[in-house]
Amino acid sequence: MEELLDNYIRFLYTLTPKHFFEMFWFYFVFEFIRYFLLEFFVLNLAKVKQWVDRPKREDARRRLFIENPLVSILIPGKNEGKHIYKLVNSLREQTYKNIEIIVVDDGSDDDTPTIGRSLENARLITKFLRNDVRGGKASAANMALRFAKGKYIIHLDADCSYDLDAMENILIPFFMDENVGGVGGNVSVRNHKESLVTTLQAIEYFNTITTGRTVTSYLGIYRIISGAFGAFRADVLHQLKGWDIGPGLDGDITVKIRKKGYKIKFAQDANCLTSVPNTFKKLIKQRLRWDKSLVRFRMRKHKDVLFPNHSFRFLNFISAFENILYNVVLNFKWYVYLTIMLTFYRPLFVNIFITNVLLYTATNYVKFIMYSLYRPKAHASMSYFLVYLPCMVFYYGIYLRVVRTIAYLQELLFKKSYQDPWNPPKTSIHARYLGI
Amino acid sequence: MKRSTTNIGEIGTTIEVGDYNFLFIRNMSATAVEELQHHAAVVIEAVNQDYVRMVATSIRANPSPDIYLKPIFLLKKDASETPLIDVLADDSVKNLSELESLLPLVGRIASRSQELTFINSISFEAQLITKIISLLYVRELKVIEPVPYTYSNICYYYPLLSVNFDHVDEYMALEILNIGEEDGIFRSEFVDRVYLCSTCSSGHLSYREVCPKCSSSDTTPDDVIHHFPCGYVGPMKDFSNQIDDKLDCPKCNKRLRHIGVDYDKPSIIHECNNCNHSFQDFYVNAKCLSCGDDRSVETLKATDIRRYHLTKKGELSAVKGLITTTKDIDEVIGTIKFDTFKTMLKYEIERLKQTEGSSNICAIHITNSSHVYSRLGSELQRGLLKDLVTVIRGNIRTADVIAFQSSSTIVLSMSDLPAKIGKRILNAIPELLHDLIKTRFDDLDVHFECRLVQLDYTKSDEVHLQELLEGYF
Ligand SMILES: [Zn+2]
Ligand SMILES: [Zn+2]
Ligand SMILES: [Zn+2]
Repeated sequence: MEELLDNYIRFLYTLTPKHFFEMFWFYFVFEFIRYFLLEFFVLNLAKVKQWVDRPKREDARRRLFIENPLVSILIPGKNEGKHIYKLVNSLREQTYKNIEIIVVDDGSDDDTPTIGRSLENARLITKFLRNDVRGGKASAANMALRFAKGKYIIHLDADCSYDLDAMENILIPFFMDENVGGVGGNVSVRNHKESLVTTLQAIEYFNTITTGRTVTSYLGIYRIISGAFGAFRADVLHQLKGWDIGPGLDGDITVKIRKKGYKIKFAQDANCLTSVPNTFKKLIKQRLRWDKSLVRFRMRKHKDVLFPNHSFRFLNFISAFENILYNVVLNFKWYVYLTIMLTFYRPLFVNIFITNVLLYTATNYVKFIMYSLYRPKAHASMSYFLVYLPCMVFYYGIYLRVVRTIAYLQELLFKKSYQDPWNPPKTSIHARYLGI
Repeated sequence: MKRSTTNIGEIGTTIEVGDYNFLFIRNMSATAVEELQHHAAVVIEAVNQDYVRMVATSIRANPSPDIYLKPIFLLKKDASETPLIDVLADDSVKNLSELESLLPLVGRIASRSQELTFINSISFEAQLITKIISLLYVRELKVIEPVPYTYSNICYYYPLLSVNFDHVDEYMALEILNIGEEDGIFRSEFVDRVYLCSTCSSGHLSYREVCPKCSSSDTTPDDVIHHFPCGYVGPMKDFSNQIDDKLDCPKCNKRLRHIGVDYDKPSIIHECNNCNHSFQDFYVNAKCLSCGDDRSVETLKATDIRRYHLTKKGELSAVKGLITTTKDIDEVIGTIKFDTFKTMLKYEIERLKQTEGSSNICAIHITNSSHVYSRLGSELQRGLLKDLVTVIRGNIRTADVIAFQSSSTIVLSMSDLPAKIGKRILNAIPELLHDLIKTRFDDLDVHFECRLVQLDYTKSDEVHLQELLEGYF
């Protein structure tokens, strides 16, 4: 151990700036510039704009309550009965009141139908619709949409919980800019104290959603409205005739709305808490599905946004390009970096590894502390996470990267997502055949 | 309660058989059932069922035991059965010459009627319980059986009891029987359960599936279709096109091919044609055919229909007189007991023998009391009686007394007053009573009859009372 430390200190002494860049270009080019400098810069711009826009926002809020449009809240799902009563009760306490609640039971085999019917009879739910045969998430959401009467549609997950002003805050962006077609809510981790893996996901969500989406939204390249909490203009959704089959239908519908020429916004103050997988094993399953859908939807179904054609839009191009670049390309580039280091810098590999860990961890600390200052409302105390931050480099840099690699390879080479039991086989067959 | 007098003048013929007089009522003749007081039994020519039911009902509904206890026989050529009439009647004969065979029965009923004791209770409930146990006792019956009956407002009829109520008040028969059971007069067992309108207690309800939002039954069902390739879900009408009867997907424009392969029908949806609400689960509403109330079946009154048996105590009460503990109205403030009234009358007659002067006794009789009380129930009845006493009290002198002879007849004294003035005072009272009733009870029609008898010291108190109360019960 002592020898290792001596060795490392000697390594640092001999390090020249040229060598430093040669050995850590991956960190500098991608992590430092993209995820630290650029992001921090834009985040500040976004915050300034938010501050400047306060009167405009207040005006939008006022107009929302004057117009008081009917808002349809769609809650599709299977075997979600146990969550519904609590969710519906909390929805009734929302600051925005003119809502109708439509619950679609997608072939549940538990007591969801009984619960749903009784809540409908008690008029706590506007409509409880049940399909005896499961049709998949998209079909359930589409059924709810078909019978929704609201001017705006909010899509929720039954097992999430929402701040009391969440509906109000997710609706305001529509009144600030009439070209907004969809708004994504801010999803945080509810069970962040449950296990190490949930704590790490909480930090990840904070980085990629709370911070990351504020940045992409400001840049106009925000690309995924979470199914857990998203709001849409009803006319736009009706025009698109709803969601296509998933997995990844959240990102898919967002791209389709963008293609129609509408803007997508992120509402950082529309807070939603969700429960995340509590073991590394469960998390792998979830991420394999998500990561496969990136290939399937970005690179296959919506590859047209990458090429100049009649419907080409610059921001849509950037949105997809940035996504593919930083996730898919970079993911493989990392293996290149790893190979180079192992081949040409083999004797120094341990030192390079330690330096990378330190660099990333230091960056994580700086980012976390600085960004935390921007959090208006905290669902978890910031200091709780500080101890766990050093794990992030392994979680993000190794664990998630390996999972992602497997997912991309599976999807690129075998189109595995069409076999995902998340969708009933009867629908997957058609999706595969149509290449969507 | 049915009005007992439908007197249009024609009187039935009297047939003498053995020691007894039978009143013979021909088909469709206008009849005064009061005639029956002077007969041992009645024979009704049974040609028209409605007519027989009308006559039999008005006999059993009459408040006087001299009428309602009398045996009813039917003269009918065939042996057809009519459940309700058969329970109201005691027996039937094919021709009048067979009447002789009924004499033992007539005799038995007459002698058992003599064993009964009637305690004049003011309570309407007690009166009806007395009536039903008397009817049972005289006929040696033990069971009050509910009969399913189309024309009954609550779907079941207790013939001997329900005849006392107007159609809309029939459910009160159940209350009477319950009170009887609480008093130990009856014991009962479950027969059936009926659902009654929560507003008017009618059992004639129309059940139908309605829109949960607006309660309209004008709804159209449609299959829900899920198109697998594009995930579109909607009612079948979304898929129909104008050209042929094939189905085309509104989202991806593909033609639907085979159910189960490229689409399925996961559920059914109903659309309300009145308010456009779409829903999968109906509400079930019951519309009351009597009062028009249309409400969810959960609001209906679930009511048990039970079979009642006369207990030993019930039998004894028929003979010794019924003392009901539950619903009796024992005393109304400002009145004295009828017995005390009689004693005071005796003294007044004695007094008149020695002094010159004019004294009177009066009666105020509610001619449709059973109708009135069957609408009110004992609580309101008590209130009504109190009000009546207050008004009467305000119009007579303090020395005069008031008593209830029965729940329908109030007697009072007017001492040291010329009969002419007494009559004037008495005749002014009904109008005051009508005004009072109008303010207290909606839509309640009460008929009064007043009588005044001037005291004659050559006659006994009994004779005076007989004269005063002739025909009142
Ligand atoms: Zn389709
Ligand atoms: Zn309706
Ligand atoms: Zn009714």
